[in-house]
Amino acid sequence: MLTFIRPGLRKPAVSALAGLVFAAAWLVRGGPLWWISIMAVIATAVRVISLYRLGTQDTDEGALAGSRADERQTLVGLRSRALACNIAAVASFIGLTAAIAGRANWWWPFLVILAVTGFGYLFGLSSYGSGEPD
Amino acid sequence: MRNRVREQRTQQGLSQAELASALGVSRQTVISIESGRYLPSLPLAFAIARFFGMTVDKMFDPDQEADSC
Repeated sequence: MLTFIRPGLRKPAVSALAGLVFAAAWLVRGGPLWWISIMAVIATAVRVISLYRLGTQDTDEGALAGSRADERQTLVGLRSRALACNIAAVASFIGLTAAIAGRANWWWPFLVILAVTGFGYLFGLSSYGSGEPD
Repeated sequence: MRNRVREQRTQQGLSQAELASALGVSRQTVISIESGRYLPSLPLAFAIARFFGMTVDKMFDPDQEADSC
């Protein structure tokens, strides 16, 4: 994926795209908070430059940011992402139960996040071999 | 698991960066392998052993604790 982009530019490009979509969302929303889109563009530019500079460094983080990680660095990245997903699932569960207990009407975004992480886990199991026949 | 990567590398007068470049991995990974913090995959273990002209079982000894540094 994204192999048509030079490795050092892949993560900055994805970050730039996400930041611009986020900024566009604020612009499309309009209203008195439209200026947040400008702040989002500035923050995105800073993040893209930081990511690019990080990607040139001779560190594990630099290798991951520069899309040139070897097997150990890839494993470190995968474990970090797995930890992030675990934390997201636990946080969304806590949010869901707190919202239900507090009779709040904002419980469903937590349920969506929990369902998506659960589905992602099951999809990963089926994609990466747990369903292989004996 | 103890390994002889550092011993072999210093014997051949190679830096960690030179070995990393020859194996196609990062310098940090060579450091982690030498200190026993990271066990390489089978293909990388074979590549290391082949690079030093040894067999994998001579290069990696599962019966001994890794050197700590």
